[in-house]
Amino acid sequence: MLPAFVAEFPFEWNYIRSIIHVSLYVSLVAVALSTLVSLPVALLVGFKEFRGKGLVTSVINTGMGFPSVVVGLVVLFTVSNQGPLGSFDLVFTPEAMIMSQFVLATPVITGVGLAAVSSVEQNVRDAAFAMGGTRVDVAVVTIKEARYGIATAVLAGFGRAISEVGSVLIVGGNIASADGTSVTRTLTTAIQLEARQGRFETAMILGAILVVLVLLVNAIVVRLGRPGGGYR
Amino acid sequence: MTLEAVDVHHGYGDETVFDGVSLSVSPGEVVAIIGPSGVGKSTLLRLFALFGSPDHGSITYEGTDVWTVSENHRLDIRRRIGMVFQDASLFDASVKRNAEYGLRVRKPWSERVRHELASLVGRTNGTGPAVEALETVGLEDKLEQDATSLSGGEAQRVAFARALAYEPDVLLLDEPTSDLDPRNTAVLEEAILEARDRGIGVAVATHDMHQAERVADRVAVLLGDEILEVGETGTVFEAPRDERTRNFINGELVY
Repeated sequence: MLPAFVAEFPFEWNYIRSIIHVSLYVSLVAVALSTLVSLPVALLVGFKEFRGKGLVTSVINTGMGFPSVVVGLVVLFTVSNQGPLGSFDLVFTPEAMIMSQFVLATPVITGVGLAAVSSVEQNVRDAAFAMGGTRVDVAVVTIKEARYGIATAVLAGFGRAISEVGSVLIVGGNIASADGTSVTRTLTTAIQLEARQGRFETAMILGAILVVLVLLVNAIVVRLGRPGGGYR
Repeated sequence: MTLEAVDVHHGYGDETVFDGVSLSVSPGEVVAIIGPSGVGKSTLLRLFALFGSPDHGSITYEGTDVWTVSENHRLDIRRRIGMVFQDASLFDASVKRNAEYGLRVRKPWSERVRHELASLVGRTNGTGPAVEALETVGLEDKLEQDATSLSGGEAQRVAFARALAYEPDVLLLDEPTSDLDPRNTAVLEEAILEARDRGIGVAVATHDMHQAERVADRVAVLLGDEILEVGETGTVFEAPRDERTRNFINGELVY
């Protein structure tokens, strides 16, 4: 006879794998999109003088600490029937979760990325220009010089996205399908559910997987962004 | 291929840096710009490098006012000019990648992306103009070394090779040897003369009179907000026309 909690709960590899898949899919896509938006913004705010620059910087910094449940609530409203994106039928979908993760990760990546690109010395940028570089070339040099800091920024964004509970619970709904695989259930929301139902062992296993995933992504990104690394 | 400043007036805010400065750099000559620190030698070189336009007057290249042409045309002109800064300002990459930078930005993007990928997966070949430029400054054995790990003298030599690699018509050197030991200084001065002999016009800003005497065909004395005199190196040092020049050269100028 199996212990009661194993019989009750579809604790099997397919279930775990589908949760990991949803977690990674949502977080990685959101972080990739955030990075595409954040880097140009960080370069612009870092090196261009314009009116309202102080305001933009404060918005970015405020966004870094924005309460995730509020973001979830706003995204839920946006994609709900009454909201502006109501016609796309996105409530309780991974795509809605990507939206809220994107909103949460972007200020983090922009903020940390801004600090990174701002630390690139002007004389190195001048050298790129003087060797015949265009504005784009100077921006590329800046990103390459700041690659370690930018890697840290992307990591911080990924960390925020993958360990998020509140907003993904609100917009995703923590749904598993009838066959016992995850639709919008992530590692975090699954842990929350398992813990609440008293299945601590499962929650612990999921927790351990989450930590290993974060460490793994850290290791990869740090390796790529190491100073001097990759540019022989 | 002559780069020329014509009656340039320039300043920052209320402060006047140049009040009618004219100077030309022609192919195959070394012009030393001498003057005390803070007189605007770097500013003049940055105007020559087209970092910005002068408040009044013009910078011309082959007789064309560079600030009246299209941005693309100006980029073409800019790419005929090389510059070495007082601090090497190298990129955080290998010596070879630093030396190749100017060549790389002149290539179409498709080729650049391919080159980037090739350098990520393995080493690229050890030949080409960048390697030749590094040979000129005696660093051909450090191609794969991290540029950030070089000594000050070696770093400055890489910076020189980086500006030389794409065969500019004009080379601007801003106090290139002010932080260097005699050996590295000698290597760079030798490289300056070699560049001149290949037909490159060189402008070197320096406060080292002896260096000016060693490398320059002509000397321009920048004092106050004007060029006091320009002439053959021997003439300026032995028989300066202006008394302030004489005082400056003799180290007696209280400025």
